[in-house]
Amino acid sequence: MGARLVVVLLATAALAALVAGFVIGFALRFPEPLAATPAQAGPGFSVQLETVAAVGTAIENPRPDDPHPTWVGYLPTTTLTVPANSLITITIHQEDTPSGLRNPYWATARGIEGGTFHMTYFDDKGNPQEGDFSAITDPANAAHTFAIPDLGVFVPLEGVNANAPPNSMNVISFSFRTGAPGVFHWQCFVPCGSGTIYGNGGPMQTLGYMGGFLVVQ
Amino acid sequence: MRSPNRTHALRLLVAWAVLSVIGIVAVMQIQFPPGDQSRQAADQSSLLSLMAVLSTPVFVGVVLFLIYAALAFRRGKVLEDGPPSYGNIRVQVAWIAITAVVVFFLAGIGITQLASASSSTDFSGTQLGTSSPVGGAGQALQVQVIGQQWYFTYRYPDFGGVESLHLVLPVDANVEIHVTSTDILHSFWAYQLGVKADANPGVDNIAYVTTTHTGSFTVRCAELCGIWHGNMSDTSGKVVSQSDFATWVAQLQKDEKDTPVPPYAPAYFPSPRVKGS
Repeated sequence: MGARLVVVLLATAALAALVAGFVIGFALRFPEPLAATPAQAGPGFSVQLETVAAVGTAIENPRPDDPHPTWVGYLPTTTLTVPANSLITITIHQEDTPSGLRNPYWATARGIEGGTFHMTYFDDKGNPQEGDFSAITDPANAAHTFAIPDLGVFVPLEGVNANAPPNSMNVISFSFRTGAPGVFHWQCFVPCGSGTIYGNGGPMQTLGYMGGFLVVQ
Repeated sequence: MRSPNRTHALRLLVAWAVLSVIGIVAVMQIQFPPGDQSRQAADQSSLLSLMAVLSTPVFVGVVLFLIYAALAFRRGKVLEDGPPSYGNIRVQVAWIAITAVVVFFLAGIGITQLASASSSTDFSGTQLGTSSPVGGAGQALQVQVIGQQWYFTYRYPDFGGVESLHLVLPVDANVEIHVTSTDILHSFWAYQLGVKADANPGVDNIAYVTTTHTGSFTVRCAELCGIWHGNMSDTSGKVVSQSDFATWVAQLQKDEKDTPVPPYAPAYFPSPRVKGS
């Protein structure tokens, strides 16, 4: 009887330790931070990111040992640290193809300096183009969005045209101003989690892929 | 000589009456949520206040009796068994009757307020309804709340279906809030307006609000909806004057005239169910 009680107690303790370890591990696991660097041209600070169809096969920052190499993602990380009360310029090397916005409202950029983003992209003939835009032309051509809702920043990222040469990327850059220090979440509004119900599972629900934290300090 | 039971009962009755009055006065000082920014919110506050006032004598009576019994009838040095108790018809009838009256009274008031909060017959003759060329006479202002992972946006069908990042409402207006979702289950909770309504894809869930005060309010999602559920909040909801609302909505229409939005519909369906592979 005594031995049985000890076994039950030990098993319960082991189970509790496993659950606690899982919860603590989950709660404390954040992608490595990427700090903004002083902008090379112009004022403020800059951050460069890459969006890819599969994090395992990225052009610039591949993560072949990632547990989900086929998931879409922002690379190299989704924890971004930026200075407070500063102009931040984000440049995104966007390699993914169009996925389409569920709410076309997000096709318009909001909360960025000058109201426009700069984009180099490929037209329907596969020719490179360049310009400043306040929105993407067709919400169905969005691959992702970069949105910091609490700062009012919403920027659509156009998908690479199917007629573009292989390994092409659209380069999108925009600036916004940070205020007081704080931690803000940022995310994608395109339901881009392939193979998940309504596209909002997997990479959309996991830190390090389609969302993360903007640490203003 | 008075029987000891009568003495106990008299003491309890006096203490109960005094403490209940003190308790009721104290409870009436509490500002119950959600406040009074809308008629429905004020109704909820006053209902909570009424329930607290009515439950105070009950709470005081139960706790007082427990404490009094523990002190007055505690065991002495000699262990002696008390007299057997076979129940008391009068006491039983009294507590069942009093409880029933209180419960049915509260149920009646609760049902009446619930019905009045959502009654469309109330929604006529408002300043906005009668003067608005868009809403038409006797029409409440319609606002569509669209939940999506992870933000609420707001559409104004009376103003060409224009969409906004924040909810702005005119004061002294009857508003029909049509709550829906483009993906999964959310819940629209405008705290100070006293509105909480499920946002389900493919469903047009209607809540009614009559704004009574200008000021700001907080919107939160009240249905666990994924990784950023906790961030799905907005403290920029506003109730503004009728003229400020007219100015704001005109500016919004101007700013958003080129913004693509889907054709206005009572509800939206997420598609495709599974994207890619």
